[in-house]
Amino acid sequence: MGEVMRDPKYGTAAEIMALDWARLMGILRDPEATVFAKAKACQRLAVVGNHFTVEAVAPLLADPQLSHYARFALEPAPAPAADQALREAAGKLKGRLLVGVINSIGVRRDTEAIPLLGRLINDSDPEVARAAVEALARIRPPL
Amino acid sequence: MKKTGSISRRRLLSGAAAAPLVVPGSVLGKNGAVPPSDRITLGGLGIGGRGTAVLRAFLQQRDVQFLAVCDVRNERREAVKTMVDEKYGNRDCAAYGEQEELFARRDIDALLIATGDRWHTLLSVLAARAGKDVFCEKPCSMTIAESRALADTFQRLGRVYQAGTQRRNGANFVWACEMARTGKLGRLRTLHAEAGPGNRWPPLTRHDWLPAEPEPSPQVVDWDRWLGPCPWRPYNAEYVKGGWRGYFDFHGGGILEWGSHTVDLCQWAAGKDETAPVEYVPHGMGADTPYSIECRYADGLRLVLRDSGFLGLGSCHIRFEGEEGWVETADGGQIRTSENLRALAPAISKEEAARATENHVRDFLDCVKSRRQPRSHALAAGQAHIACHAAYIAFQLGRKLEFDPATDTFLADEEANRMRSRAMREPWRL
Repeated sequence: MGEVMRDPKYGTAAEIMALDWARLMGILRDPEATVFAKAKACQRLAVVGNHFTVEAVAPLLADPQLSHYARFALEPAPAPAADQALREAAGKLKGRLLVGVINSIGVRRDTEAIPLLGRLINDSDPEVARAAVEALARIRPPL
Repeated sequence: MKKTGSISRRRLLSGAAAAPLVVPGSVLGKNGAVPPSDRITLGGLGIGGRGTAVLRAFLQQRDVQFLAVCDVRNERREAVKTMVDEKYGNRDCAAYGEQEELFARRDIDALLIATGDRWHTLLSVLAARAGKDVFCEKPCSMTIAESRALADTFQRLGRVYQAGTQRRNGANFVWACEMARTGKLGRLRTLHAEAGPGNRWPPLTRHDWLPAEPEPSPQVVDWDRWLGPCPWRPYNAEYVKGGWRGYFDFHGGGILEWGSHTVDLCQWAAGKDETAPVEYVPHGMGADTPYSIECRYADGLRLVLRDSGFLGLGSCHIRFEGEEGWVETADGGQIRTSENLRALAPAISKEEAARATENHVRDFLDCVKSRRQPRSHALAAGQAHIACHAAYIAFQLGRKLEFDPATDTFLADEEANRMRSRAMREPWRL
């Protein structure tokens, strides 16, 4: 294998993904950590994250480069805090990032998001509106 | 009310009489040509090395008319257009950079999807929703959740789906599966599926990023589209040239690479196209040691995925062992059996064995016309892929997993359950 990317402080992907959840949280909060390190931390938190780690992941939902990685961590997390983080982000974001958050809400079948999605189906951005319709259909499939 | 400038019936008929209508014989099905009404119109997405081989098999069929190609790489888009235009002696093959343009073509019946694995399920589902039948290369999915979505979508929409697991139409593999299915082996005890091989496709995929390189113009390579639903990373030409294999974000590793063929055949042979094993036990976790995953179905039947220990008949071995005999075969057509079954084994030439892809394409086209489901239909492919993904998850975690095939859920293992799906990059969704 040839040259691969590494974070100057946290090392290679394998080294980052061997860390426990508390250290992974530390990477997400470290302003000196690279996008690469934060991305790998999120991917590992998809498997080992918990309700404590949601707090560190949630701010990344608004980061254009890391929003998907944040959803990668939150979407499979069984913590109800992940649902809350996604709902809160949906109230603030716009455009593609909002579409992504709506998609994750749909995958998680978050019934508490139904009123929010009900408002978003009338959003002026047709991509957002369509995502909201599909998320609602996923949460409440037709009888 | 008479419209200004309209042509009267009388004028139209007089004009028609003056200029006789010439209908080419091919349109009427003369001289051995297939009339347009009986032709299947085809489009292709992401046609590269393997895709070109499959496309050639399609183009050999007289009732196929290939109309358009879509690729995020201009070079490959143009190569396929040139190949198709040379075949038909015209310049009619359309070339698109975005799949939405292809889906919008109402004159296209079916699609050949041969992109990288990351796009397979998403494009198949979107194509089905656009009213297309689909022939999709394998591996057909990246996760258990994608496998289920694939099976459910095609069942719900009634579209025809053929996974590119052509060995289901390979003469030697079909014969081996028939021996199992018809009870010639007695009660089945163990099925063996070759995974790997480990030296070419290691079971574990990597999370590394290659160094960033300048991103080409989207007209040359649309990197955002190339990534599609996968996590963003900086551009590096190596990925685009085929080096994406082996990376977790883009590839399922050696278990899925061949298991999608061999596990699929084992499930077919055992009549288990609608289920998956309930237990997965990984062995041999060392980097350079042989590995295996021992699986068990609800009725006790064993399935062993392994990368070594076969008879050396070629690639993609399968072996079925029953209480009254065994059979083993692989690419190339050779068949070995227990002594008691030797007289039954047919001699299958390499040429006949190599016709698997052509047979598989023909099976798909016949089903597009009949609306039956082909041999590698979405449910069978989906379930075989679920078995492979579950085996790979057990291998990654390095522990025994128990699985409920009715709900696609691992029992009492939260980490494993979190690995059943991956968030798709915005704006993509299933």
